[in-house]
Amino acid sequence: MHLAISLNIAAAKGQAVLDFGEIKTFVRAAEAAGIDMVVISDSVEGLSCSPFEATTLLAALATVTDKIGFVASASTVAHQPYNLARRFASLDIISHGRSGWHATMVQGSREAANFSRPEGFSDADFRRRAEEYIGIVQGLWQGWDADALLFDKTGGRFHDPEKMDLLDHRGEFFSVRGPLNVARSPQDTPVLVLSGLSEPDLDIAARTADVILLESGSAERAKIRFDELKRRATAAGRDPDAVKVLTNISFAPDDGAAATADKLETQLRAKSCDGFNIRLPAQHSALDDFADRVLPELRQSGLVREGYRGTTLRAHLGLAGGGDR
Amino acid sequence: MTAQMKLGAFLWATGHHIAAWRHPKAHVTAGIDIDHYIQLARTAEAAKFDMIFCEDAAGLREANVGIASQTSRSIGFEPISLLSALAVQTSRIGLVSTASTSYNEPYGLARTFLSLDHLSGGRAGWNLVTSASPIEAANFGSTGLKPHADRYERAREFAEVVTGLWHGKASGHDGQSFSVRDPLDLPRSPQGAPVMVQAGASDVGRDLAARTADVVFTAAQTFEEAKAFYDDLKGRMAAYGREPDDIKIMPGVSPVVAETEAEAREKHEELQELIPDDVGVALLSSYLSISDLWRYPIDGPLPDLPDSEGMKSRQALVVEQSRRDGLSIRQLARHFAGARGHWRIVGTAAQVADELQARFEGGAADGYNVMPSWFPGELDVFATLVVPELQRRGLFRKEYDGNTLREHLGLKRPA
Repeated sequence: MHLAISLNIAAAKGQAVLDFGEIKTFVRAAEAAGIDMVVISDSVEGLSCSPFEATTLLAALATVTDKIGFVASASTVAHQPYNLARRFASLDIISHGRSGWHATMVQGSREAANFSRPEGFSDADFRRRAEEYIGIVQGLWQGWDADALLFDKTGGRFHDPEKMDLLDHRGEFFSVRGPLNVARSPQDTPVLVLSGLSEPDLDIAARTADVILLESGSAERAKIRFDELKRRATAAGRDPDAVKVLTNISFAPDDGAAATADKLETQLRAKSCDGFNIRLPAQHSALDDFADRVLPELRQSGLVREGYRGTTLRAHLGLAGGGDR
Repeated sequence: MTAQMKLGAFLWATGHHIAAWRHPKAHVTAGIDIDHYIQLARTAEAAKFDMIFCEDAAGLREANVGIASQTSRSIGFEPISLLSALAVQTSRIGLVSTASTSYNEPYGLARTFLSLDHLSGGRAGWNLVTSASPIEAANFGSTGLKPHADRYERAREFAEVVTGLWHGKASGHDGQSFSVRDPLDLPRSPQGAPVMVQAGASDVGRDLAARTADVVFTAAQTFEEAKAFYDDLKGRMAAYGREPDDIKIMPGVSPVVAETEAEAREKHEELQELIPDDVGVALLSSYLSISDLWRYPIDGPLPDLPDSEGMKSRQALVVEQSRRDGLSIRQLARHFAGARGHWRIVGTAAQVADELQARFEGGAADGYNVMPSWFPGELDVFATLVVPELQRRGLFRKEYDGNTLREHLGLKRPA
């Protein structure tokens, strides 16, 4: 199964703030357990006393780990698409191809209010804008061919001008000329993770996402949504296996390690998902408990692979473009 | 103890010289190699530099792709992610990144820099720029570059909101360009607030700096220019209730250092000869904000220039130097390509230290932003030859006294 851990560093008010050393210890434990990726939530959406913004934390964590993937949440309201594409392209080079962008299709009121959009967007506008935004970001990520950089000192040719493409996007909400001034990703492009989908978002997600996070529901409902997303991916001309559907599951220390492991196994065998996104509260005890008790249980059942087969996040997730899978 | 100068290590791709990447020993893959930057940061920290400085532009440097492809400047790291990575690979050195007020929102920028400040234990700084490039503007909408005055009005409001958020100001902001409802959701900075750096040298840029900056980065070729700028800026501060020492003025300097002066000159000439004429002229054109400099005879003088919405102050500096020294377009292009309009010193460590000391003690600088012509070589040389010379003269620290960037720079902690 594919396994992500969602690290809610945005602790509730009054809780102790996690310092970088504690977060580092935790992600190293997750890496030792062979987890595909850590999803770093961002606190703009909720009140918190976390000291870190997600993309800055991702950059720092990338330098103290070797294998595990990192996905940072970043809002389409808080960033311009060119800046966001650039930040994640840079993170992907810093992490040697282990980065992803998590975007939500739910509009946050707190972001609108603090980013000079007090009126926010209508749901329809927010959706069309997000779709256009994602297209720009993915387009910018492909602005440089993988072999564009020549580094030819004596010939005076740093890059091949034929292998750099302008985006020249002019749309309803954005106009972006491009190209990005960051090189091509070591894993082709950073991984795109989408969540917060409602019915009208399913086609957008099936067409663009590498990973889709879904809320857990009944077993029947989960199976229907899973099949529907795969069907739509196929209809969009994609290999259904090129989109990984992960179910969000919350874990609290008193849930019990064995019971949690059983729950995951049952859902996976019902073919209602490709894996799970485990949500952990930002309590030291929960982090320790999951790393020390649940992860070994899953590994013992053979549900989580031993170690990593490749070096990039795409390789971990079994996605195309991973290179050394 | 005598006063000590502040030093920044200005890291940029393969080096500040336009042909740096072609140097046989330059690290040509700098723009895709995080380990290279970690090594440079550690070199600068071991030499006790106050800070690392990163410039930024949200777009290509050069519109002509054929010319851009002969430089290393079309690709590189985005600086906030870069400095966040360096923050946990270093322990004392300050980390300053450029970010634009034209293409960001103050809430997001304040939050991101405060996060970098927490990751680094109080070593972050923001270099405010308004972005004068039409190439950048085309990545953020179709309306083109905004007039200079409008950009600075937006920057003034932007800076006010950011400092308000950093200082924990509770009430919201509803202004001309921005509206912000909530305070930041991160704890207060370990150094009170990240350090505010500015580089605009126009009249309106100087006023903004006098009002809000902790550090000012500037370009000055001669002692007289540096002194005039220094006195003018410090003179503007009283109007905003600030002491002259509340701002550290750090001109850029691009030293070429060797054991002997002859060797230093030879090193410099080697790099100059690697500059293709069309690249040098294109670089000069972008600094002058005119697109058709190539139409003029390359061995003739600089033509008369129209007013531009680009970098007004820097344009004046280039024109003045060209007239003063009677330089042709080619000569001027090569001269500027090396140091990008900044001060260049070619010589031995003692000669470089003499020059740095003279401007520092002459009241024309509080320190320098050091712009090595290529990496890693010229940073290594500065660290191993010039820094010890400055330390011997008591002009630079031998150890860090504090832990935060404000402590290194001797800046007050904001209330």
